[in-house]
Amino acid sequence: MSSAFTPVLDELTRHRGVRASLIVSESDGLVVDSKLRFGEHGDRVAALAASIFRKARLSARAAHLGAVSFLQLDAEHGRVCAVGRGDLVLMVVADPAANVGLIRVELLKALGHLA
Amino acid sequence: MIIATAEPWIEAPLRRYVDDARASIALLLHPSGQVLAQAGFTRAVDVMSACALASAVHATSVELGRQLEGRAFRGLHHAGAAKQLYLVRAETARGPYICLTVFDSESSLGLVRMYFDELSRELSAAAPPLPAIREPTLAVNFENELNANLAALFGRGPQQ
Repeated sequence: MSSAFTPVLDELTRHRGVRASLIVSESDGLVVDSKLRFGEHGDRVAALAASIFRKARLSARAAHLGAVSFLQLDAEHGRVCAVGRGDLVLMVVADPAANVGLIRVELLKALGHLA
Repeated sequence: MIIATAEPWIEAPLRRYVDDARASIALLLHPSGQVLAQAGFTRAVDVMSACALASAVHATSVELGRQLEGRAFRGLHHAGAAKQLYLVRAETARGPYICLTVFDSESSLGLVRMYFDELSRELSAAAPPLPAIREPTLAVNFENELNANLAALFGRGPQQ
């Protein structure tokens, strides 16, 4: 089943090292649409990453830093990159060796489709 | 947070669940409405009414699911203005339980669902099996049972 977000997710997942791309509701942490490689746990990543993104947004606001434009979490076995607009968060799960600069550009470009 | 359980094996998994999911209230009950464990309630009367209401809502959604798609609905989520609730069924060796979780903007439905899956697995692993139900001793098999018990007591094999 495809949605209005499917082309955006397809485009992001095409990049080298990208294991999953998801659009998640920030308030409830549920997946709106996703493109996952075999073995990725979409629901789990979505719930945790949406929670982190919400906390980051609230923290940035509390510190008078304005809106969060890009969030990156580096871990031992992978990294999560996320951008948000309204209640939607667009996130990518990638290998540690993936090109974050390129992923960042693509995420910010794709942000327009979330409006 | 105050946690009270009727059975000790529930306490550790429930405490972890409440902490991880950042729930403000959690209630574990038998589908009949009997409370098994609670976390976050301050007055006993609240627990009793919550159990009765959760049991009734669960029974309603089970029956509604059966009528609509031939099987019981497993979970129910209600989003209020400030608080949300998630009512879901867990299966263990001791039979089905219902878990009522109340959470606010500190958590989310995705997180609660994720950690509930973990709670469900932990309860299944921790639940001791139901004790075997002993049949009433009748005159017909009294002698056989007596012999079996004596054999077990004195370490002999069953008599033929």
